[in-house]
Order: sequence, then structure tokens, then C-alpha cells
Amino acid sequence: MALCQNRLQEERKQWRRDHPFGFYAKPQRNAQGVLDLKVWECGIPGKDKTLWEGGLFKLNVIFPDEYPTKPPKCTRLLRPSRCEADSTGKFVPPLFHPNVYPSGTVCLSILNEEEGWKPAITIKQILLGVQDLLDDPNPDSPAQADAYNLFKKDRAAYENKIKRIVRDNPAP
Amino acid sequence: MKRDQSNHQSLGSPTNRKVKEARILMVGAGGIGCELLKNLVLTGFGEIHVVDLDTIDLSNLNRQFLFRHEHIKKSKALVAKEAAHAFNPSVKLVAHHANIKDPEFNVSWFKGFTMVFNALDNLEARRHVNKMCLAADVPLIESGTTGFNGQVQVIKKGVTACYDCAPKETPKSFPVCTIRSTPSQPIHCIVWGKSYLLSEILGASEDESAEMDHSEDSENAKEIEKLRQESQALKKIREAMGTPSFPQLLFDKVYKDDITRLRSMEEMWKTRRPPEPLNYDGIIEKAVDVETSKDKILKDGQRVWNLEENVIVFKDSLERLSKRMAEMQSSANGHSAEPVITFDKDDDDTLDFVTASANLRSIVFGIETKSRFDIKQMAGNIIPAIATTNAIVAGLCVLQSFKVLRGDFSSTKEIFLSPFAPQRLLSSDKYRPPRADCPVCSVAQAQLLIDISRATLNDLVENFLRLELGYGEEIVVNHGDALLYDVEETDNLTKKLSDLGIKGDSFLTIIDEDDVNPRVNLVLNVQESTIPDDSPVKGLDFPPPHNADEPASPIPRRKKAIPQTNGHSTLENQPSAQSTKVPATNGNTSTLISSGSKRSVAEIEDPEAPNKKQKIQSNGASKDETIVLDDTVEHAIIIDDD
Ligand SMILES: [Zn+2]
Repeated sequence: MALCQNRLQEERKQWRRDHPFGFYAKPQRNAQGVLDLKVWECGIPGKDKTLWEGGLFKLNVIFPDEYPTKPPKCTRLLRPSRCEADSTGKFVPPLFHPNVYPSGTVCLSILNEEEGWKPAITIKQILLGVQDLLDDPNPDSPAQADAYNLFKKDRAAYENKIKRIVRDNPAP
Repeated sequence: MKRDQSNHQSLGSPTNRKVKEARILMVGAGGIGCELLKNLVLTGFGEIHVVDLDTIDLSNLNRQFLFRHEHIKKSKALVAKEAAHAFNPSVKLVAHHANIKDPEFNVSWFKGFTMVFNALDNLEARRHVNKMCLAADVPLIESGTTGFNGQVQVIKKGVTACYDCAPKETPKSFPVCTIRSTPSQPIHCIVWGKSYLLSEILGASEDESAEMDHSEDSENAKEIEKLRQESQALKKIREAMGTPSFPQLLFDKVYKDDITRLRSMEEMWKTRRPPEPLNYDGIIEKAVDVETSKDKILKDGQRVWNLEENVIVFKDSLERLSKRMAEMQSSANGHSAEPVITFDKDDDDTLDFVTASANLRSIVFGIETKSRFDIKQMAGNIIPAIATTNAIVAGLCVLQSFKVLRGDFSSTKEIFLSPFAPQRLLSSDKYRPPRADCPVCSVAQAQLLIDISRATLNDLVENFLRLELGYGEEIVVNHGDALLYDVEETDNLTKKLSDLGIKGDSFLTIIDEDDVNPRVNLVLNVQESTIPDDSPVKGLDFPPPHNADEPASPIPRRKKAIPQTNGHSTLENQPSAQSTKVPATNGNTSTLISSGSKRSVAEIEDPEAPNKKQKIQSNGASKDETIVLDDTVEHAIIIDDD
């Protein structure tokens, strides 16, 4: 409805005027080549001085009709190297991370209507929140077994794996 | 005595004449609609059009009194018309068995009515009619009932608040994490059964997971393989549908394998009771007697079934659904659309399946199990529909309509029927004025004639908006969710509007992003036409210049927003009130954002849970009752009154 679209347009304007270095956020094109305001593709760089430094990770952000009353859904936190596969409907692996579901959906309190979501939260804040989460996983809310178990049981192997993922997904 | 003698005396001759001359549209012929149509016909409104998409169902007959048993499966609009016609043959009745959102019901069609009555049961259709009535500038009488509560509101463009001026309750949703990994209440398991499991098995199938990209290194490949296997597992199980092993395959996946894996995340179960996987063979062995009395169990929906009984119902309902699916597939006969079965509380097969699968999950997680009767209520979000409420509300609508006919909008009222409120049964408020920043009715509206064969986006943006209307550089053209043009999106300018999906009756929104003195949003209702002169785009019925100083701009400027001292709390209290004012972020991001879903133990245990449950049970109209799972596109039903 109108409220959702007005707000998304405002978000786009604010982003255009000011956004953190290394990030991107833009509505995606639909089949007719027209931008769909409710589906954004965003890029999140790994934070400097962390394991994730030098990587760039793609996130799809999908806005419901009830946005901003309800939070957007951040899904398919993916490795950019597989973006092509995504658009053709192929199986795409999610990011290897304890708080990312096998479907790619990100488990983050500010994206949860019953927890931290507030209509005032901007896209910029969401993306910075996901960036924080990369290097600071929340062991209380595991979302995938593989990353979670490795994180808990073999930190060295976990870190090696993250380094490899970052190497495979370099920021341009 | 003449039929309208009483009307004549009570309304006075001028109003009574207006009643007889009125052309009325009634949208919805359900609970309120049946009552309202009877009232309208008996009041003697001259011509009444009825639009309803639905057909009559057995469950309607207790309150939608225009319908009889022999009408089941027939069109509500058509049967209501026939039945009401008998009450007063001098009224002209026209029935449309159609969706009010169909393109035939365009703005010019709405303009043909004196007044519109909404007798609808859903937000989406209400919003649509609200928008159309604003665009056509036709008064709307909006009404709704929820159990014993009811409400009537008159909506007149520029005079009263519109339907969207006040934020609407949105159905409650649960965090995905709770539903998928850490359920703690029966409703979590019911939502899982209804919105996840049922649709995984009987809904549209997921992306085909095809070939892998083998260029990855070996460890990645291993992980990909594992994920692929996981998604393949459910697909394989779907393929086994109809075979004798199907129930056990599904059961083992969701109640044994998935649970075992979940349990392996030890950290998660430090403060919670870990889930216990179930053993299908073991239960079936013990359930031999139970299986023979299957029919008796299925008849006993008021009693809470035990573990064995739930497994038998799980197996039996899954077999029934598989059989139906096979029949649908063979009759679809290779046609493109894959058949799907979705949850319907009145469909016993799906209700049995959701009951059993939710209860089994509850057993796994040590949560209280529920009877099918209770689960039907919870899964279907049933709020009882009350005939008396509908009748009262329909009567109130007609009383308001007399004021509308007289053009006396200043005496229209917003009326609330709330029998359990401490004050009065019926309370009325003076109409609310339109909200200055309502995204729906604060906009300027006009018609736009376009020559569909040649008009380009550039004709609209440059020639019409900038040159003719005086818009500046920073403007946006939206078509619903589609962003056609803004300063960064200029690729479409040379394209024809028709190639961008614009046609007759499309609505375009023009947003002025000027920082200093922006115009209100402009909504353009597109009309196709052949325009003989040079310009393929032409405005119609533009509002007269708002400000004499600015003859070049017929679109009024936005009213200055009241400075906010605390933007966050304002937004919280009025979630939809602040459409265009996103507070600039100011470096305090880190205080706002915590990583992950950090929750205290107390919150996880949810000390409020028993209270909430109590509320749902004691008050059928509680808004807590409507549930949507965060992770699905499906929307919950709010009122069982269609
Ligand atoms: Zn409004």
C-alpha cells in the first residue's frame, strides 16, 4: 500500500544521499526490467580488522505490504559468486554462519517483530546490524547446524573456513 | 397507504426523493451485506448494484438469511438480488458475481454511484474500495463486525478521515526461529503444521535444486552436497506420496531426523527442555488397537488425542490427502499448473493433518496437546460471526446514509458497537477529519489521458510533469511497487508507457523529492485515449491552483511537519503515521542494534504466555488470535464472515 511505498522511496533517497562505505542497496529489476521497490539487493562488506575483512556478501531484503509496521525479511545472505545461480532458480547455498538459516534467512533481533524491530529502523541500520553479526555471531540463536557446531567445537577450523569464504568473495 | 408513507413522514419529502433517485453500490453480500441489502431495498433506494465474488456455503446459512439450503454453491450476489427483489419489486437491482478489484469496476464506473456501502470482510478489498471512492470522489459508508463488536464510518474525500487515515492492526506474526526451532506453546506447533509442513508437502514445490557449480573447492563442495541432500530429502519424500511408505518417510524426517539434528545444537537446550525424537515403528506397534477404532477417533474431535491416536490420524489424513493429490494430478492431466492443497478449517483432511502433526510436534517439545476442536479454532482464527451484530451495524449504515444523501457530512458520525465496553453499548464520535499526512487521502488526484500507442515515460516526466505542472528535478514516478523513474533510474525514459505495464485505469504516483517545499503526492488515474494534438499525455480535472502565488503549480505543497523531539517513540506509537519522515541515523546505531537474537531466559520462558492464552480463550474477538507465520506469503483470515 501507499505507506510502504512512500517509506521505501524515502529510504532510497536517504541512501542515495548518505551510505556507509563499501555497501550497496538497490531495488531489483522485475521481469519487465522495472525496479521493484519491495525487493532490494544489498551488498555488505566484511568489517575491517575482522576475519571477514575484504569480503563482500550479498543480501536480499524483501519488504512486506505492512512495512514499516512489520520488519523486512532479510534472506539469502549469499556468496556473491553464486548470484547468477540464484536468478535462474537454482539451489544456492546460504552463507556459512551460525545465525543464517539454511534458507539464507538471517536471524537478527532487530529484524524480529516481537523483539527489536521498530518502524524507525532504516535500511542503513539493518545492513550495519548484519555486518556486525558477521563477526559477532550470537550462539544463543543458532540457525544452521554446520556453522554453529564448527563455531562451538573447533574455532580454528571455523576461522579457516571463514577466511576461505572471504577469499572466494572478495570486495571489488 | 403508500409504501413509502412512513419514509415520507420521517425523512421528509426532499430526502425521501433523494432515496428513490439514488444509485447505490454495495460491495459484499455476506453477513453485513444480507442485512444491509434488505434494509436498502425496504427503504426504497432506487437502484442498487451488488458485487460479491463468493458463493454460498453451508456455514453462511445461520446468519446470511437471504440464502437457503438450495442456494449452496450459487453466487451470493445473484441469490441476494433475487431474494431481496421480492421484498420490494420497485427497486432496480443489479448483481455482479465478480471481484471488486476487476478492471471493469474502474474509476468512471464508481463515479456513476451516489454512494457506496462496504460490507466486506477483508482489509485488502476495503483498502481498494476506499482508494477508488477517493479517486472517484464518491461517499463511502464503511462498516465491519468482529464478534459482538461493530463499527460504522462515513468517508467523504476532503471532509472526513479515510479508511487508511488510522493505522490498521496487522495480524500477529511469530519469529521464524520460534516456529522452526524452539516452539514453546501449542500455537507455535499449529502454525508449523499449517504453514510449514502442510505447504511443504502439498503446496507449490520449491526451487528445483539442479546441478551444482563444481568449481568450488573441496570443502565447499562437501557442504553444498550436504545442503543439497537436505533439500532433496523432502523432495524425495514428496515423490513418495501415494506409496505405502510415504507416511513413515515424512514422519521419520520431521519427528526423528530433524529433531535429532536440532538436539545436537546443545547450547540451545541449556535453558530449555531438549526435544525428544519419536520412533514411528514403536508407536505403530502399540497402536494396533487404536487403528481399528480409527473412525471413532476421527468422530471425537472434542477430546485430546493421545500419542498413538495422533500418529494414526497423521497416517490416515496423509493417505487421504495423497489420494486427493493423485486425483487432482491425473485430472489436471499434464496442464501447466501443479495442483496444490491448502489449509481450510472446513476441510477435514487438512484439519486432521494439521491437528495430528501439530500435536506430535507438541509431544516432541513437551508442550500441551490440543483437541481438534480447539485447533480448528486456533488455526482458522475463527472469530464467531454474530447475526445480531451484523443487523445492528447494517441499520446504522442506513441511518448515516440519509445524512450523506442530504450532503450533511458535518453531522455524520463514527459509531462503535461494543457491548463489553464499560461505558455504553453504542457510542458515537463526531467524524474525524482527514489526517494531513495520510498516504492515501492527503494526495492530490487527477486523471491522466494518455495516447497508449505512442506516449513514452519521457513525455510524462519532461513534457507533462516538468513543463506543464512545474515539477523540479527530483521527482519519482511509481506504479504500485514498480519504480519507473527517479533521478537515479532513468533507463525507462525512452520506453513507451504501455511497455512499462501502464494501461487504462492504472494508478501512477508522483512523489516530489524537493527538499525545500515539496508538493503533496499526486495520484494519476490513467485513461486511454487518442489525443489528436501533439502531446500524447494530457491532464484532466486538475485541482485549481492551490496558492495564488504559484499559478504554475496546481498541486498543493505539503504542510510543514511538526518538529519531532523524539522521532523514535512517535514512530513506535503510530507505526503508520510517519510515512515520509525517516529519522536520519545519527551514529547511535550500535545502541539500537544488538547482534543475533539475544534474549534473556525470562523472555524465552515467556511468563506472559498463560495470560495470553487465557485472553484468546475468553475473548473470541481478541486481536491476538490472528496469526501469520513470519516466513510465509500466506495471509491469515481475520473474520469468518464473508
Ligand atoms: Zn486518509
